[in-house]
Amino acid sequence: MTEAATVISKVLVLDSDPDCQHALKDFCASHSLSPLRVNRGNLLAVLRSNVDLGAILIAERIGDDAQAGIELGRQVHQLRPELPIFLRREQLDGLDDLALADRSAFMAGYTLGHIARLESVIQDSIFCQYYPNALVRGITEITQTALRSQFQGLDLHIDTPYIVRDRLLYGEIFTLIPIESPWCRGYMSLQAIEANLQQLVKAEHTHISADDGDDFRNLNGLLGEITNLIWGAFKNRYGRLESSGPLLAQVPIIINHLHRYISFGSTDPQLCFRCTLTNPANPDMTPIVIYQRFIFNLSWRPEDFMENQASVENLVSTGELELF
Amino acid sequence: MAQILVVDDSSTVRNEVGDFLKSNGLEVAFAIDGRDGLSKLKADPTLKLVICDVNMPNMDGLTMAEKVRSELKNSSVNIIMLTTENSPAMKERGKAAGIKGWIVKPFNGPAVIASLKKMVA
Repeated sequence: MTEAATVISKVLVLDSDPDCQHALKDFCASHSLSPLRVNRGNLLAVLRSNVDLGAILIAERIGDDAQAGIELGRQVHQLRPELPIFLRREQLDGLDDLALADRSAFMAGYTLGHIARLESVIQDSIFCQYYPNALVRGITEITQTALRSQFQGLDLHIDTPYIVRDRLLYGEIFTLIPIESPWCRGYMSLQAIEANLQQLVKAEHTHISADDGDDFRNLNGLLGEITNLIWGAFKNRYGRLESSGPLLAQVPIIINHLHRYISFGSTDPQLCFRCTLTNPANPDMTPIVIYQRFIFNLSWRPEDFMENQASVENLVSTGELELF
Repeated sequence: MAQILVVDDSSTVRNEVGDFLKSNGLEVAFAIDGRDGLSKLKADPTLKLVICDVNMPNMDGLTMAEKVRSELKNSSVNIIMLTTENSPAMKERGKAAGIKGWIVKPFNGPAVIASLKKMVA
């Protein structure tokens, strides 16, 4: 088995106790978690807008209200049931003393003195998927090649990949394509904001004529072509060399426009990449973000991960004409 | 009159390849899928070269290439695939259909143009 990739996960932290904040910060730093502090007033608003969360850490006591965290946990669970919520308690570890309805809203309860116990439950709920380093590196390379072929005169930065459990859609344009190899089956999606893509077209950073930037179909096509390039390169690098089996399972994909929510029928965390395009000649330009997600919901056997060596070598000649 | 037919369901690719070929002095026509490509080739048998995607709706590029030979009886037009596909099996199918070349996307214009000019000369 190859080395596992370093991936992080963003967690919301609602805890007003300064001592606990320090302890949680240290815990997050040593467990690949990126904490984002929120308060009681903005928690639900942040939840509605944030699309790349792995979990939420809530304190049971907030200010003078000894049980405010439980009520907030109920609300959060109703709003985003896919997100695991961890409750920091004053006296008791666990959740056994809570009412059954409240207990179901939380993944685990812990006290600061036993914060180490969070490690295993975080591991189980957020980092339960193993992602080979070679796969993460390969996806990054493939994505860079695809994006650079479609955007000129821009710098590209791809952040450290991260794990999310949320199911929210980002932006307005969303592409989805099946991904398949002998060791994985699922989907890849790209998500972007239409106005951002339009800005790049009008500034002549794409292959689309600036005059055609007002037609949303051209912007759809641009994200579609990037999706196609990544899909093809993924298939060439990791795909089946022989034909696939006779019966391959499928599950319905559910999209709820009202809540900007998509479900692939699996509760597994998703592997995400945040790709940012900036213009070195125009530092004032708002960075353009494209979110890329991999959802291996139909099959995931990283122990069988392998690359097609011949295809990797062939990538060197990508774009050139091979005459028959 | 166009010398080259670019067949791709992606308007982004049609723009990219078309603009590049035009900037190199070549006349270009476009089709949005294999069925449209077959129709354009039927209407204009003088086209010298087709640059064609594989994965397209309605009719894929390899099927189109096979029909160009079998239904249109056009054995003179050169067909090159421009695709994300890179499997040996697909290339073999392409060769059997009389395809002259294969380009794995993304398109690298300068690396391709010299070969194309020789083909359409």
